[in-house]
Amino acid sequence: MKVSFNELQGLCRKAFTGIGFEDGDAADAADMVAWMQCHGFNAVDQLNRGLDFLLEEDPEALPEVIYQDGDLAVLDGHGQSVLRSISLATELGFAKARARGLSVVKIRRCRNRQLIMGYLSRLAGRGINITAFWRNSQEPLTEQVVGFRAGHPTPEVRIYSVRDVPEENEPNDGITLVMANHVELLPSLGADHDLDLLARHSEFDLMACRERALQEGTEVDDAIWARLKTLAHRMLVESSDASRSGAGAGVNDND
Amino acid sequence: MSNRDWGLAPLAPLSLRPADEVMRLERLGSLHACRLSFVRTLMRQMGRQRWQVSRERFDLDENGYGTVIYRLQTPYGRYHGVMFAQPLDDAARSDRVIAEAWDVTFGLVEGDVDDSLLAQMAANVPLQEAGRQHPRLLVMSRANKSLRNFAHFVEALANGRQPDPTWLTRVGYLYRTTAVYGNGKFGIADFARLHENPDFRRPFSAQMAGVYLLRHFSIEQVEHLARCRAPETACELATELRRYLGIGNSTGLGMAPFLINHPQLIAQWVNQRETALALVQRQTPSEHERARLIALTRRAIQHLAETVTEDVEQTERNTTTVEALPDVLAWLESAPLEEDLWAQLVAWSERTLSLEAQELINTLLIELYPEQVDPLEEQMGVNENLDLQPDMPLMRLRQLIETHYSWALEYEYTSREGSYWFWYRSTEKEEPRLGVRHEEPGTEKEMLIAMGPRVAHSHAAICEFLETTPRAKVVDFLLAKPRHKEIIRRVQTLVKSTYGDIHANLWHQGMKPMHLLRTKLAFFGASRFDPKSDRWVRITLLQGAPLVEELNAEPEDLSHFDDWSFPLQPQLEKGCVAPAELSPQGDQSPQGERSPLQQSPSQQQRTAQGGMSL
Repeated sequence: MKVSFNELQGLCRKAFTGIGFEDGDAADAADMVAWMQCHGFNAVDQLNRGLDFLLEEDPEALPEVIYQDGDLAVLDGHGQSVLRSISLATELGFAKARARGLSVVKIRRCRNRQLIMGYLSRLAGRGINITAFWRNSQEPLTEQVVGFRAGHPTPEVRIYSVRDVPEENEPNDGITLVMANHVELLPSLGADHDLDLLARHSEFDLMACRERALQEGTEVDDAIWARLKTLAHRMLVESSDASRSGAGAGVNDND
Repeated sequence: MSNRDWGLAPLAPLSLRPADEVMRLERLGSLHACRLSFVRTLMRQMGRQRWQVSRERFDLDENGYGTVIYRLQTPYGRYHGVMFAQPLDDAARSDRVIAEAWDVTFGLVEGDVDDSLLAQMAANVPLQEAGRQHPRLLVMSRANKSLRNFAHFVEALANGRQPDPTWLTRVGYLYRTTAVYGNGKFGIADFARLHENPDFRRPFSAQMAGVYLLRHFSIEQVEHLARCRAPETACELATELRRYLGIGNSTGLGMAPFLINHPQLIAQWVNQRETALALVQRQTPSEHERARLIALTRRAIQHLAETVTEDVEQTERNTTTVEALPDVLAWLESAPLEEDLWAQLVAWSERTLSLEAQELINTLLIELYPEQVDPLEEQMGVNENLDLQPDMPLMRLRQLIETHYSWALEYEYTSREGSYWFWYRSTEKEEPRLGVRHEEPGTEKEMLIAMGPRVAHSHAAICEFLETTPRAKVVDFLLAKPRHKEIIRRVQTLVKSTYGDIHANLWHQGMKPMHLLRTKLAFFGASRFDPKSDRWVRITLLQGAPLVEELNAEPEDLSHFDDWSFPLQPQLEKGCVAPAELSPQGDQSPQGERSPLQQSPSQQQRTAQGGMSL
């Protein structure tokens, strides 16, 4: 089925609230999913695949700062989805970059990493240059690099395949964020690197994708939509004769 | 201040009323529609840019059921209003969002409507929320008949008579909408898509255009029915009655979450209105402007005197205002014409009048200076983003809360009275409702729209954190206490847009939801506030607004075209309908008729004869 951006964002927010997200996290997570979906990254499918994990997450296991100084921070995401509270880790990087010119934040142990782009877009819109990258560890080893220019809410994205897998290839479920006030941090493929470019999404292409989604709506699987509605339904209060009077309307609308 | 100083005054910063005065719920609940309200700005835009409305299809049967399509042509684009009229059992006629069928459903479409789109709309628009709507629909809505008015109008016109205008004074419409959806609801177009569209990029302008086409449809449908019933005797509705016909709207608590969830937008609306008021008070009045304000005040007195509501409290408020306004007239007529007369008037009204009368005076003052005020209508939209400032010192945030949210810290939220209501959405079409805390189930699913207690809660947590970490930044606090993220970024954003939050405890037993409804409706341009309970209201939109035929005639006098606020009941004498004496049309000539230049030949004939055979 075709849905609008606002409709998707609204339903996701209600669904995340139904799952038990705090109000602000539900809003951020919904923004991330809707942003990713309208830029062509199939976020709803990703969400659907991760929904069972999300439902089982411990809401109290929040991202934890393991180390930080003026320029650097390392956080443990406790294996949770980036949709829940990870925005604060990115805000920490933003605050450090604002204060010192450049910051590096590593977030270890997190899932649904690609969805973080939706929140980074907001930070970039607030005037900071950002690059984010992450690798997976299974073969083929791939690396995704996302770069936002300050003031541009749409990124440049590259996905590479790494030909030579390092011998010490530990599980890699982290994200590295670099933010800078005055230095552009865009992905580029050096000629000597042993990499294959799997996908390239330019800022222009992604903006065109968003434009198309706004014109035509975005396609969402009916079953996923129904599942999100079921989750959103958790926040609704059963109706009764007493509650109907709580709306305050009259019983006869003929005049 | 010398004349020269006054001449330079517009360069000085404007002094707007403080948020703690403007954003009090009782004052917001006393607002009136003004020239920055959305129906007014839309009509001005339509007249200025010479928009044209034409009938493209009119397939109604003898019962008035079927499909009608209107074309709306602007310099920028083409749109179509598609109306589906269908039979509806009286028992199923409900204004609530939980209804499932309506007398009329309609949509405003961007571009052309081919057979395929029409078929898709015919299958889905009548279902409203239960349908899957097309992304080229900018607006989707539905409306129910005022049965008594409808029957009276058809009967009178069929018999070649004009309906009694007092019927429209009691209920100012033939149809009332019960929801007007925009911005992506149920699959229709996102508002973001209209950001570059000069026709509808202003908030709610597409919705108001849809309502305007419904108003035209209601006139054409009722005339069609009269013609079907008695082709030999039927007549058209007189111009004055057409103009006096608005579109109703019936609404409930659904407006409240919007006000709270869009604080930057609300701040923008209020800010423009306050800016207009401040600009006006800088103007040096002339005798002409004084006379104009006196005339507008007289019109408003009569309009309010003619406003009918069964609600005791609203009746008292209207009566109080009407009784106070002669004092305003006396003040205006006797005050020396000093340079700061308008500032004096505002100060005097604040000392002397009820809130509703004060805001009426403000509304009328704004009316006087279109050149100063009208450019503000382009500033009613805003990009909404509640952004965190993570590097802000937490101590600074605490100070900001104590400065700008002292109202929230002053309330108490633990007593029964202070925490009496909770807001929630029902399983029935997610209808917003109010429940009594400690008595009704559902508090664990409460909608978090009461900002006062949330700000107070965050403030307490911040104070406690600062005791051990006085040099902390906001992000340090939030990493430890992430649940405060939403309220903190709201506060950080709104201290720069101080008209964003309503200064009230929305949990309190004495809180009046009606004030919330009226706040939004006043910005829409609603008149005739007719509360049906403390949380349900009927209003009228577009009553007095220029007609499609007047728009199509490409009006030259745009100031007259735009002068339709506080409409008055036309007079029916010996079968002829004439404008009320104090109405803009009544002002035009001693005979109470519009000048021939402002009427088409058929309109002149219709007004003079009180109707014309079809």
